[in-house]
Amino acid sequence: MSRIESIVVGFDGSNDSRTALRWAADLATLAGARLRIVHAVGLLEHAGLGTTIEIHREKAVQTATDAGLSLADIEWSVVDGDPCSALLRMTEAPESADLVVVGTRGSNAKSGSILGSTSLELAERSTVPVVIVPTETLDSANHHN
Amino acid sequence: MTLIVAGPTGTVEHDGGQFHPEQQARIFSVMDGVRALELHDEIVYPPVPKAELDELARVHSITYLRELEAFCEQGGGDIDPDTYARPDSWVAARRAAGAGLAAISALEAHGDGIAFVPVRPPGHHAERDRAMGFCLLNNVAVAAASLTAKGQRVLIVDWDVHHGNGTQSIFWDDPNVLYVSTHQYPLYPGTGAASEVGGPNAIGLTVNVPLPASATGDVVRASVDRVARPTIERFSPDWVLVSCGFDAHKADPLSELALSSGDFAELARLVNEFTPRPGRLALFLEGGYNQVALQTSVAATLGALLGIDTHPSEPTYGGPGMDALRHIASEQERAIDLSHALPGRSEEHA
Repeated sequence: MSRIESIVVGFDGSNDSRTALRWAADLATLAGARLRIVHAVGLLEHAGLGTTIEIHREKAVQTATDAGLSLADIEWSVVDGDPCSALLRMTEAPESADLVVVGTRGSNAKSGSILGSTSLELAERSTVPVVIVPTETLDSANHHN
Repeated sequence: MTLIVAGPTGTVEHDGGQFHPEQQARIFSVMDGVRALELHDEIVYPPVPKAELDELARVHSITYLRELEAFCEQGGGDIDPDTYARPDSWVAARRAAGAGLAAISALEAHGDGIAFVPVRPPGHHAERDRAMGFCLLNNVAVAAASLTAKGQRVLIVDWDVHHGNGTQSIFWDDPNVLYVSTHQYPLYPGTGAASEVGGPNAIGLTVNVPLPASATGDVVRASVDRVARPTIERFSPDWVLVSCGFDAHKADPLSELALSSGDFAELARLVNEFTPRPGRLALFLEGGYNQVALQTSVAATLGALLGIDTHPSEPTYGGPGMDALRHIASEQERAIDLSHALPGRSEEHA
């Protein structure tokens, strides 16, 4: 297996996406890889009807630096589109990545349904390995806090 | 000329709440625009049945349709950060798709006139196996596929401010559908670059004209008239369907193009030039989230086609984007040349 140099992680501000970001940041630190945090902007967020992008950026960068990454190893990207398509675009030519990391459920998906599950759709469509980080338990969340 | 209105649908069902921009109030504003034409009893309202599964399955996978139906039956929820489904959304979406089919049937029966399809949820973002961008089922694609199933050639002009990724992907490799889109770029859904020109069997039959924020109506009209017209005339459609979102209006809260209601009137006249004969033009509501802009733009669009002056705002001029059109046109011409060189493509599709 070739060395992991670039990790893409999806971040929508949800607890699950923060768990995925922590896991990806830990792996990036261990592997000496670049961490590319991707935030997909949909119709509502573009119109200012969702959480502001700057708040997401601050949370995401803080989470990554808390895991030991330097700012130079972190890339923050805002991509127009639905979460799955945005993540795929950041892993496919002309972009590239060795791994894409997502949480089990984003801020919107309904448990038990394939519909609306970015992680399941991504696993089906991605051409690079996908890591789906399980929902964090309260104990392990406290460990991080 | 007869105005056929297949709808409205989505006036009660598929309720996203007053804070979601894709809300029932949109349809009431749209119908205010229809009433502004003062045609009263002259408007034909055909019955609007729900689209059947086999009609939807021409453009959507059965697996997706079953999943969407079950999702709604189980109470619905948020499908992505933008897109919701409610318990009655499956029925609402089928009625929206069915309205397009009813519009086509009514046009065929009358052999004259134009059809307007005021429905929600909108459709052009819905792909073969996924809902997104407020869209559950792709209404214009369902209608277009019903026509291609009968051997007809269909032009879809999509002037919604957002690229119709769903419609493009569904007909990507279909030589019987020409998809032309003008849209703000970059913007949701992130697709619609000029380099996206169609699959191996339909190279050049996807025409994307990405436009910068603040582009005005003259740029959008030139996109259709200068960039797309050669391909459209070569394609020679039997039918013209329009994904007529009104969110390119300068007052729309979801985007940054700068059109006026008068620009939509001019666009409608321009697109109507591509219809082979009367009774072959249907306009499908897509986006548009400013209620006043919706009302005036619907009236202006339909009025322009029917020869009724609704006193729309003046068309707009002078925004950015005109200079880039030459480059986009060159890219399209190269793609069409390439399609001529490909083996296995018949002359009639070239």
